[in-house]
Amino acid sequence: MAKARAIVKRLKAVRNVRKITRTMELIATARFKKAMDRATEAAAYTQKISEIVDDLSSAALTFSHPLLEGRETQENSALLILTSNRGLCGGYNGGVLRLANRRMQELRDEGRSLSLEVSGKRGLAFLRFQGESIEQEYTHFEDKPTFDEVDELASRYVSAYVGGTLDRLDVAYVRFESSSRQTATIETLLPIGQLKEDSGEGETAGEGLSVDYEFLPSAGEILEEIVPASFKARLFKCFLDAAVSEQIFRMVAMKGATENAGEMIDSLSMQYNRARQTQITSELSEIIGGAAALD
Amino acid sequence: MATATGQTAGQVTQIIGSTFDAEFSEESLPEIYNALKIDTDVKGVPVKVTGEVQQHLGGGRVRCVALGSTDGMVRGMDVVDTGAPLSVPVGKETLGRVFNLLGEPVDGRGEVVTEEHWPIHRTPPPLEDLSSKTEVFETGIKVVDLLTPFVRGGKAGLFGGAGLGKTVILTELIARIASAHGGYSVFAGVGERTREGNDLWLEMQETKIGQTDRSVIEQTCMVFGQMNEPPGARLRVALSALTMAEWFRDTTGTDTLLFVDNIFRFSQAGSEVSALLGRMPSAVGYQPTLGTELGELQERITSTKKGAITSVQAVYVPADDPTDPAPATAFAHLDAFIYLERKITEKGIYPAIDPLASSSRVLDPQYVGDRHYAVAREVQQILQRYRELQDIIAILGVDELSEDDKLVVHRARRIERFLSQPFLVAEVFTGKEGKITPLEETIQSFEEICEGKWDHLPEAAFMYVGGVEEAAEQARQMAEEA
Repeated sequence: MAKARAIVKRLKAVRNVRKITRTMELIATARFKKAMDRATEAAAYTQKISEIVDDLSSAALTFSHPLLEGRETQENSALLILTSNRGLCGGYNGGVLRLANRRMQELRDEGRSLSLEVSGKRGLAFLRFQGESIEQEYTHFEDKPTFDEVDELASRYVSAYVGGTLDRLDVAYVRFESSSRQTATIETLLPIGQLKEDSGEGETAGEGLSVDYEFLPSAGEILEEIVPASFKARLFKCFLDAAVSEQIFRMVAMKGATENAGEMIDSLSMQYNRARQTQITSELSEIIGGAAALD
Repeated sequence: MATATGQTAGQVTQIIGSTFDAEFSEESLPEIYNALKIDTDVKGVPVKVTGEVQQHLGGGRVRCVALGSTDGMVRGMDVVDTGAPLSVPVGKETLGRVFNLLGEPVDGRGEVVTEEHWPIHRTPPPLEDLSSKTEVFETGIKVVDLLTPFVRGGKAGLFGGAGLGKTVILTELIARIASAHGGYSVFAGVGERTREGNDLWLEMQETKIGQTDRSVIEQTCMVFGQMNEPPGARLRVALSALTMAEWFRDTTGTDTLLFVDNIFRFSQAGSEVSALLGRMPSAVGYQPTLGTELGELQERITSTKKGAITSVQAVYVPADDPTDPAPATAFAHLDAFIYLERKITEKGIYPAIDPLASSSRVLDPQYVGDRHYAVAREVQQILQRYRELQDIIAILGVDELSEDDKLVVHRARRIERFLSQPFLVAEVFTGKEGKITPLEETIQSFEEICEGKWDHLPEAAFMYVGGVEEAAEQARQMAEEA
């Protein structure tokens, strides 16, 4: 009986796990829909503003903005890594961190310094385990990052870049391409000039159509306004993408986990039935044997 | 009693399977355990059976277990009481020979003439004669030396279900220990395949002792009562072999090795005759006297101040269930306990020794030293943690583990594979040369793996190597081929 009872205990545990994973799958599905709506809404805005900035920068203007200029030296570069606060999302964090790790290794091989900024408890735990020093930690970005929260970060980057204490900003995150395709990528957000070849967004409008702009009140003032706005929009987009991808990854992972638990329950049930049957058989034969011996 | 003076005759009154009843006059009743002989012929067919008295039924009748086939026996046959228990020839003349349980040579090389015959039923050595020293016995098999060190003069058991490699490990131990060993060896084949006995006999003729030109068989005596024999034979063959081993221990004073394959068959044979003897079956249909029978045998396999018997016994585990009464009873008698696990054979790792279920009395800092103990425990801890995580990995995947646990899994998978080892006797099958790893190298290797010095090697590199340097070498070769 000892064996059968042990199996029952495990069976119960696995059933509970399946209940949890199934619930998490459903929650992730609901959150994913909301997050995706937000991301697609923001995508349209981000794309348009990027196009405009693109057009402006390609239009032969005499005026330029500091955020558009690349630097000769890339002495002070920063890497922002977006991970999740919670686990149970399959390879989501692993993918981003692997990529980020490779970039860190490259930069280190070149002998350049890098300041790490990490969002999400999972990434923090991993990098701390690796013994990395982390400049900034954020754990307040959940599945609904607000623009105000991101704006705070973005403004700091802008002023640091303009002030010359930051030469380059990369963001490592999982980009949401479609609901069946998300890829871990590293994008360079500052300087903005590299936007085009990196993201490929806005290509359709940018090519061949050299729009003649009329500036009112002046080109300088408009650029002053629109360039930082574009950067902020793009950074915000990264956060939104990461949030959507996290939910998709969690959905997929939990679906797999639920299935695995189901399989395990099947095989454990089989084992239990067999153990129970064996026990009954042996008890029966003992009783019959005992009775026969008494005759 | 009249029996003590000489031989008396009686008649067979009943034959049930492998037991029979015989009737004697009340005054000359044979004693319990006395051997009875039947030697006649029925219509020209010779019938030659030896029986052993088990019960006195009253009215001059005794119930016996037949130690051979009861084919051709009829009621009314003459039975002769030999007046003493069955005895077997003992002495150096038995070396190199193969016997059945009656002490008759079966290798077709003529009679064995010895000075002495000893009865197979003997009392265990008294308490004050038992040797109390404990010394580790090195085998050169990594997993055995590290986790279940054998005791010199102790008993080791190999537990496992059908087809997990008990006999292979036993043969390997014979090849390793007997070839490096100066003393005598006795092999008891109890209820296993006759073919395996034959293979072993040929193998022993080929294996040489150390650097000398003499083969292992010259220092070995073999006793077989295999599957084809009736239960009475399988019930007593272990005792015959043990009696021969006891002679070597008590008379020559050398270290004697006793190999038994398979002690479970002894219990099984007991249960086969038990019901025929009219005993009420106990748990799972075993004989109610299971513990007593096994205790009488096991207590005799022991080291005394005169000499030591180091014994290795294979124990079949029916239906892979170690709680079955037969293996569970055998377990209590052993110093080192090796459990073979089916899940490990499914991974293709041999020897399929379960590092967590196996244990040894001497895996204690007092006997093996602090370093060995610490490394063995560390290895077990890592593997234990890995086993605990197995369900999580099966359901959620390895990505969900914490970084510490990922490292544990990483190392555990390497340790698991490193516990495999190429065997000397399996060279023809695996194409890999057998490896004898010294204890010091074994400890060093596992220590380094636990510390993470070899984390960079691929898992497959740890399969079937000796020391850890060989794993590094194998990894290099694999990289070259890829």
